[in-house]
Amino acid sequence: MDSLRTLWPYLRLHRRQYLIGLVAVVIANSVNLLPWYFIRLTIDGVTGQTDADAATAGITASQVGLYALGIVAASATAGLFMLIMRRMIVIASRQTEYEVRRDIFHHLQGLDKPYYDRARTGDLMNRLTGDLGAVREMLGFGAWQIVNIVSGFATAFAVMFSLSWQLTLIVLALLPIIVGLLTYMARQINRRHTHVQEQNSLIAAKAQENFSGARVVKGYATEDREIGDYRAMNLELLRRNISLIKVDGPLRSVMNLLLGLAFGVILLVGGRLILNGDGTFTIGMFTQFVGTLERLAFPMLMVGWITGITQRGLSSWLRLRELFDARALVRDERGRANPGIQTLRGDVEFDGVTVRYGERTVLEDVSLSVPAGTFLGVTGPTGSGKTVLGQLLTRSMDPTSGVVRVDGHDVRTIPLRTLRDHISVVPQEPFLFSDSIANNIGFGLGNRDLPEVPTGVSVVGAPPLPDIPQNPDMDRVRNAARLAGLAGDVEDFPQGYDTVLGERGVTLSGGQRQRTAIARAIVRDPAILILDDSLSAVDTETERRILDGLREVARGRTVILIGHRISTLRHADQIVVLDGGRLIEQGTHDDLVAAGGHYAEIERLQRLASDLDADDEPIRDAEVAADALEHQPMPQEAVK
Amino acid sequence: MTAGAPLPPEPNKAAFDAHLTRRIFRYLRPYLALVVGAVLLSLAFSGIQPLFGLIQRYAIDNALTPFVNGVTTDREPLLRTLTTAALTYMGLKVLEFAVQYGSIITIGYLGQNVLRDIRADVFTKIQRLHLAFFDQNPVGRLITRVTSDVDAINQFLTGGLVSLIQSAFLIVAYAVIMLSVDWRLGLVSFSVLPFMYFASNYFRGHLRDSFRNNRFQQAVVNSKLNENITGMTTVQLFGRERRMALDFDHANRALLTANENSVKWFSLFMPVMAVLGQIGIALVLYFAASRLLGQDAAAVTGVTVGTLVAFIGWTTNLFQPIQDLADVFNNLQAAMASSERIFEVLDTEEKITDKPGAATLDPFEGRVTFDGVWFAYDQDVTADTPDSDDRWILRGIDLDIRPGESVALVGATGAGKTSVTALVSRFYDVQRGAVRVDGHDVRDLQQHDLRRHVGVVLQDVFLFAGTIESNLTLNNPGISHERVVEACKYVGVHDYIVSLPDGYQTEVRERGATLSTGQKQLLAFARALIQNPDILLVLDEATSNVDTETELRIQAALLKVMQGRTSIIIAHRLSTIEHCDRIVVMRRGLIVEQGSHRALLDRGGYYARLHRLQYAQGDAAD
Repeated sequence: MDSLRTLWPYLRLHRRQYLIGLVAVVIANSVNLLPWYFIRLTIDGVTGQTDADAATAGITASQVGLYALGIVAASATAGLFMLIMRRMIVIASRQTEYEVRRDIFHHLQGLDKPYYDRARTGDLMNRLTGDLGAVREMLGFGAWQIVNIVSGFATAFAVMFSLSWQLTLIVLALLPIIVGLLTYMARQINRRHTHVQEQNSLIAAKAQENFSGARVVKGYATEDREIGDYRAMNLELLRRNISLIKVDGPLRSVMNLLLGLAFGVILLVGGRLILNGDGTFTIGMFTQFVGTLERLAFPMLMVGWITGITQRGLSSWLRLRELFDARALVRDERGRANPGIQTLRGDVEFDGVTVRYGERTVLEDVSLSVPAGTFLGVTGPTGSGKTVLGQLLTRSMDPTSGVVRVDGHDVRTIPLRTLRDHISVVPQEPFLFSDSIANNIGFGLGNRDLPEVPTGVSVVGAPPLPDIPQNPDMDRVRNAARLAGLAGDVEDFPQGYDTVLGERGVTLSGGQRQRTAIARAIVRDPAILILDDSLSAVDTETERRILDGLREVARGRTVILIGHRISTLRHADQIVVLDGGRLIEQGTHDDLVAAGGHYAEIERLQRLASDLDADDEPIRDAEVAADALEHQPMPQEAVK
Repeated sequence: MTAGAPLPPEPNKAAFDAHLTRRIFRYLRPYLALVVGAVLLSLAFSGIQPLFGLIQRYAIDNALTPFVNGVTTDREPLLRTLTTAALTYMGLKVLEFAVQYGSIITIGYLGQNVLRDIRADVFTKIQRLHLAFFDQNPVGRLITRVTSDVDAINQFLTGGLVSLIQSAFLIVAYAVIMLSVDWRLGLVSFSVLPFMYFASNYFRGHLRDSFRNNRFQQAVVNSKLNENITGMTTVQLFGRERRMALDFDHANRALLTANENSVKWFSLFMPVMAVLGQIGIALVLYFAASRLLGQDAAAVTGVTVGTLVAFIGWTTNLFQPIQDLADVFNNLQAAMASSERIFEVLDTEEKITDKPGAATLDPFEGRVTFDGVWFAYDQDVTADTPDSDDRWILRGIDLDIRPGESVALVGATGAGKTSVTALVSRFYDVQRGAVRVDGHDVRDLQQHDLRRHVGVVLQDVFLFAGTIESNLTLNNPGISHERVVEACKYVGVHDYIVSLPDGYQTEVRERGATLSTGQKQLLAFARALIQNPDILLVLDEATSNVDTETELRIQAALLKVMQGRTSIIIAHRLSTIEHCDRIVVMRRGLIVEQGSHRALLDRGGYYARLHRLQYAQGDAAD
């Protein structure tokens, strides 16, 4: 009931459609019984049973003609009302589906990173597809079927009762058996159908894994074992399918059998009533009775399904409500965010910042001041909290205690939009969208002043929103691609910057993805640029060119570079070393090497690993070698 | 209203392709008994169906009408007739149910077996295909072949063939009985059937189109949803929420429009069919009643009240098979496209096959020889393609690796390192020259036997759904637990595995998302070690993404795994490979220099430059 209450705001938007539709169902159901009435009148007229003189016909041919026309007119009327019903209720349910989907999408856009860290994409997708579909089915098919069943039974029983109470009692006695058996079967079908679906997804997952892991399967020559496994799963699918067919296949024939047996009983009893000779029950009435009963076949079948549809719809709606009820911890708080802050220079300050996830401490009492224009290097072992520093700046999360400041403002007082407009992040594993390369690089451009999609309103009569193409400034896009060392790759694609990425387009290599993400970040001219281990998939030659490009854009900006390689970090104005969430060292490369702490140890390890004698070759030659490499053309990425 | 992405055109297929049909029929052959059974049961069912109308007619004309008309007043024989009729009716219903149930189970059993055979054939075929096939066909497309395309063949069998046979039998049975009882009334009731057939065909065609459009728009909405959810944090960081919302709304609206369109067709379809049906009944009623009224004695024309009632029933029962028949060709057409795609996979040429009499190597020593190898992934490149063509990946590689020697391949991305390793396992065949193992051209060896001797540690460690142990043994029951533990201890991942809640039986979730890169790398070494290969191929560029300490552990493990085996290693980080016996430096498909680490540094060539660049670039750049 509670779930119905929360559904009401959506139902209310279309209450007129639902109301008209439901009335139409009742009318259609009543009118639908008229053809059998006309058939009865004809038969009784022909037999002359209701006539004063039973030996002569009590009806004329023109009357029969009228009855025949009546049949057609009645079915046309019923059909018209069914059409109205579908165009009202079923369309309303589709519109509600659209509205719920639209509103959830809007709500999801407002949720923060901590939410998405916990949520699984597959689960969210299931709710937005399967659960939403179940709710729609309840509102559309479910709603009219309930009214259809109720009004169908009511009108049919009224007619049957008026024809013969004795026969109606027989039907009433048989009804629980019929409905009970069909409901039982419906439940069995549901259960077995789920079993089939489970096996289907297992077998699809097996195929998916086998095909994407083709290199392993072939490399270790395990094809025959894979085929064996697949065949076993295939056989299980066959078993489950046959078990489903055993109950699903004969559903209609069971209905048919039960109605047939009921007909036999009615023929026996009804025949006796006719043979009583008092004229209260006629052959025409008998025919009408049986015909009317047959009209109940479909509603009877539906009784078993309708409870399932309603239950599924209600519990699905609860799962959708959970999405609506999720709240973002990170958001612009009223009275706290100061809309007056519109530009940022890039002074960054961490003041006693601690972050805890439940029991686990990710950052502990970190204080750090980074003046605008500083190139800050951050390093430390995996899990030391490096990435969290960047996430605090963009307010992907808020600290448990302490304050993060940009330009002296607590980041929580800076409107999220302003804050994020001034900071660009290149994440470790960048996510690119299936769109053109130009639009992916210009991802953060031209997003201001767009109309908002209205939520919580009916789609009926709402004009469609304009289609505003992105068209990013191509000069800026090209320049960013050049700086990120991506321009050469893009120009090699036949469609250049219009090349579409993703499933239906080109798949980029890991290095190309990282460089696209770098271009996407620097095209915005951010005050603060955060690079989170974003050169890991780039080879040595390319890394060098990107670092040069970065140095070009970095002038006057705050750059926070998170990484492991000393060769990358050593240019930083300032380097901090994190370990277990604590800031353990801070200074320039030379300071830290001299200090002989953790950083010096990493530097020593990397140097030792190189097994390179310091005096093996003079430094001058290295410069020559590097220059030579730089002027060699980049080899194309391998086609895989 | 803005339309969403345009619907891809449906391939214009002939409704019936004799060749394809014959191939599908070939799958029926093993189940000939079931096929015959299904047809016989169908025939029996069709024969029983019209009898119910006859019994009703008999009961009305012989038990009820004589009394009503005052012809007979003795109720006893009438009651007896009535009881006989009712009991026969009920008995026949039970028989009908039994026949129908039998036919449903037979057809279901037949269909499911055929599906299972087709599915197994496609999967087995795909297992036998060369790796290049997987490069060219996205995984999603291959999955469609073994799932929805196979389901479409099911549609062909049940929705197409079975309903064609069943509907045809039923229509014939009803036609025979109706025409023999009263041919004039029969013709009257048939008069509406052609209209019904064409109306049904027309509407179902439109419905099919609009359902196809629905599915397409739903797929667009789903892929946009998926992308937005996965990339939500990126969207938020770049302040792009409104653009994404606008974009999504267009897709969402297009889906709504498509759905509304199908509702519109469907809402017309049902009433039109119902009205056509009732017109048929009204016609039968009118003509039957007129004739009953026109002649004073029923005996003259043969039309009785019972006949009238029976004809109303028969006419109603004819509607369903007629509508099914109207849909048969639509179903066949849809299935044709799918079966064509399936047979296309089954007909794919297996590019890499064992020659007749392909040899196995025993003993296996592990010498690898590249003899003037030219290779390109592009299938269009042949031995005659000019040397200057850009598509060549390897351009004349000569390399001889002794048994037990470890060789590191060094070079920039695209230099051809990965291709060298792929050729040793014979994932691809070379265009010129030959790759030899122990002096035998790999094309003369049995693929399976060759690959059993070659272990691969992949760049992107692929973990299957299952336990850690099953991922290490690759489900080979012949590998003992002790051997697994031993290998894990050896590479130094045992302690980590034991620390997991279920140890070696811990389920690997979501492709190992919970494992760190370093741990996955170590598992990959353990996996290779357990298979105990004679030749080891390591693609370890992934080590670049781990911290220094883990990297050192991986290096230690790598050194252990390499011992006593022919090893070919690819790595970014020079430090990983300095311990190899020989370093082969590649550039644009050619070997530019080779030798030991020391010797190459002394030579001061390309390797020395690469090496120095990595460790001295800070100084060089300032």
